[in-house]
Amino acid sequence: MKKRNWTPYWLILPTLIYLALFFAYPMVRGLILSVWDDEASLRLQSTASITSDAAGDLPQGTQIRLLDRQGNLLSDEVADAANLLTEQWFLATGVDVEGNNIEGWVSENRLRIREEAEDGTPIMGTIRRKLGSTADPLTDIHESASSVSPVIAKVEARTELFVQEVATLEVWFQIEGENETGETLTGWVPSRFIQVYGDEESGRIDRANQGAFTLEFFEKMVNDRFFWPAVRTTLLLMLFIIPAQFVLATVMALVIQARLRFNSIFLYIFSIPLGVSDLAVGILFFSIFTQNGLLNSVLQGLGLITQAQPYLTADTRHWILIAIWLAELWRATSIVMVIVVSGLQAISDEVLEAAELFGASFWQRLWHVILPLLKPSLQVALILRTILAVQVFAVVIALSGGDIVTVLANETFRQYFEFRNGNVASAYAVFILALSMLSAVFYLRAVRTQQELS
Amino acid sequence: MAEIKIENVTKRFGDFTAVDNANLTIEDKEFMVLVGPSGCGKTTLLRSIAGLGMADEGRIMIGGRDVTYLPPRERQISMVFQSYAIFPHMKVYDNIAFGLKMTKVDKKEINRRVNEAAELLHIEELLDRYPNNMSGGQRQRVAVARAIAMQAEVLLMDEPLSNLDALLRLEMRAELKKLLADINATTIYVTHDQIEALSMGDRIAVMKDGLVQQVDQPTTIYDRPANSFVGGFIGNPPMNFMTGQVQKDNGQILVKVGDSLLTPASFIQEQVGKYEGDSITVGIRAENMETLVDPTTDAIPVTVDVVEPLGSQNLLTVRIGDDRVKVSTHPDLAVRAGQKVWLRFPAEKIRWIERQSGKVLYS
Ligand SMILES: Nc1ncnc2c1ncn2[C@@H]1O[C@H](COP(=O)(O)OP(=O)(O)O)[C@@H](O)[C@H]1O
Ligand SMILES: [Mg+2]
Repeated sequence: MKKRNWTPYWLILPTLIYLALFFAYPMVRGLILSVWDDEASLRLQSTASITSDAAGDLPQGTQIRLLDRQGNLLSDEVADAANLLTEQWFLATGVDVEGNNIEGWVSENRLRIREEAEDGTPIMGTIRRKLGSTADPLTDIHESASSVSPVIAKVEARTELFVQEVATLEVWFQIEGENETGETLTGWVPSRFIQVYGDEESGRIDRANQGAFTLEFFEKMVNDRFFWPAVRTTLLLMLFIIPAQFVLATVMALVIQARLRFNSIFLYIFSIPLGVSDLAVGILFFSIFTQNGLLNSVLQGLGLITQAQPYLTADTRHWILIAIWLAELWRATSIVMVIVVSGLQAISDEVLEAAELFGASFWQRLWHVILPLLKPSLQVALILRTILAVQVFAVVIALSGGDIVTVLANETFRQYFEFRNGNVASAYAVFILALSMLSAVFYLRAVRTQQELS
Repeated sequence: MAEIKIENVTKRFGDFTAVDNANLTIEDKEFMVLVGPSGCGKTTLLRSIAGLGMADEGRIMIGGRDVTYLPPRERQISMVFQSYAIFPHMKVYDNIAFGLKMTKVDKKEINRRVNEAAELLHIEELLDRYPNNMSGGQRQRVAVARAIAMQAEVLLMDEPLSNLDALLRLEMRAELKKLLADINATTIYVTHDQIEALSMGDRIAVMKDGLVQQVDQPTTIYDRPANSFVGGFIGNPPMNFMTGQVQKDNGQILVKVGDSLLTPASFIQEQVGKYEGDSITVGIRAENMETLVDPTTDAIPVTVDVVEPLGSQNLLTVRIGDDRVKVSTHPDLAVRAGQKVWLRFPAEKIRWIERQSGKVLYS
């Protein structure tokens, strides 16, 4: 038998754990949040019990009629749910209509508490009188705390009973309503899902317990009044930032590669922005463009303007965009440059010399040799940069406050923290992810290297 | 006309002098081989000629034009790089056509010349392929094709065969020699392989430590090396060197080697005589000694240490004084290790070498 080598599998294990824990799980959760409505419909039960057969589902918001009600023992996890209707039942002792001493359960609807201990615990009460002539004037005493449990005795009105124990029951309603296909369904549901109207006979399904796939959050996102401005601004910034960045980065890389005298100083200077956080860059540029900021002082100092100009206001959106553009250029060009420099270093000197020797001028070398050989590096940088550009956030917030000029990441943030709508925030996040992936695939296909094509 | 004149060219890297005051003239259409051990400055000198790395001192003329300060593309030269320097992102066709495209040659003419070059190097079927998964031999052919397609009057080649395996190298050597004879450009061919140098060059320039040691035709370089370095570097096995003691006996200059006496040829007697009472180095090539199995009066008796049968010859290692000497003999001559033989040194084949400078004495 061939002995199996397990080492590679052991090595894979941490990677798998990492992928599952830090990558797949959050991704899947995020995706689910954006397309899964946790409370799409409410399940009707055939009897007033969560374990009974299902009698159908009614969507959230359906108008319903309340047919009947019944109390059920309350489980702890729903004890403080909104809309929860409860009733109390008492285990009481006393004398029944036939003169026997009895012990059994009676609802708070039938027993008026007359005496309570200091902490509010009921001690004694009297049976209420029944109104209406047709009703049985006696009150049922049940074996357990439920109106459907067997009746063990009957007591007269005004009978004094001593309370031994209190049980809190959740009210269940038997309801009737129409589903999406117009079918009328009847069944039992717990009160906490139901909003009861004033007439006590009708209501609507307020919350639900059955999840379903939905595009509602994406619809909400697209119809959000900030959505299209955010998309427009994000794409506009990408369109203007990325090409400018690549030209700049390539020039910077070529300057470094030219092995000038102060080569390494250039590299250090060009790399400084790598160490500055995007929020800091945003604040830095805010301090330049704000009304009594650097730009105005310089312009005033030079006598070019007499009065400080406002730049970062709602009336000067173009200035905000220019400031964002400059800040992003300043901030993120170096990462592109670093990648391009490493790509340039991978090009063999002899190949460049051969190009020179065979008659190529600098521009011909750049166009026919350097750029084609840089393609893989440029591809990596492009993908990285585009993804970062789709996610642009802190700089925009710092320069515009997030209202005058908004971007997709800002809307994600707004949905989550301002509107507390995690689902729509997720939809935005998924939209950003899709844009990033689309651009990556696009670049991988469009900027293919020659070798791959052959 | 593309005569290359290298005048007093020096090239330094920091404190290190890679090429030291080189002077070399390569005639129009001549095939000059630049040979020397690795690191002796061959590539540096060739790059100076190509314009890749400016010479620090001196002057370089190509076809009567001073090109010392011209960039490579204005020197009208073509080159095969040691690592081939093929453009990895271009098909073979575009590689070969590159120089022609850059210099805006007419499309039809480019096509004609590329096909011609490809045909000369038997790579027509590779024209449509990318170089990334080609063998060393194929890349080498592409590099040569690219260089000759330029039809420049000067062709520089930096160890074009050194990256090939031994068999392919042997094959390409002959093919390249014929090809280069056909295209008839002024060629400087750099190699560290002395056999390549001997077999290919019209003339050979031997370099060591940045200094040009000797420039001459292959046979002259082989027979009459200017110094012990050239003698030892050129030829396989290298020239044998022994220590001799110069003495005068009855007005006759004699050199004592081991226990025996050698008589310098009459035309060199006077030169050797200057070292009377001093030691001198005696140089002789392995195939220039005559091996005799019977005692002879004018031959030196030696004991054979090792016998190496090489097929076309037997190589004997013998000891003369403190020096080991390689002797080439006819394969039919039956000699065993430990056997005593007699070596005859033909006077005109012995090279007398000044000990200090290593300079070979000639009349
Ligand atoms: N760019 C360089 N910088 C520093 N030293 C170099 C450089 N190029 C070559 N050298 C040195 O110059 C010497 C000659 O190199 P080279 O001309 O390449 O030798 P060869 O081609 O004869 O093997 C070597 O010692 C090498 O280390
Ligand atoms: Mg070299």
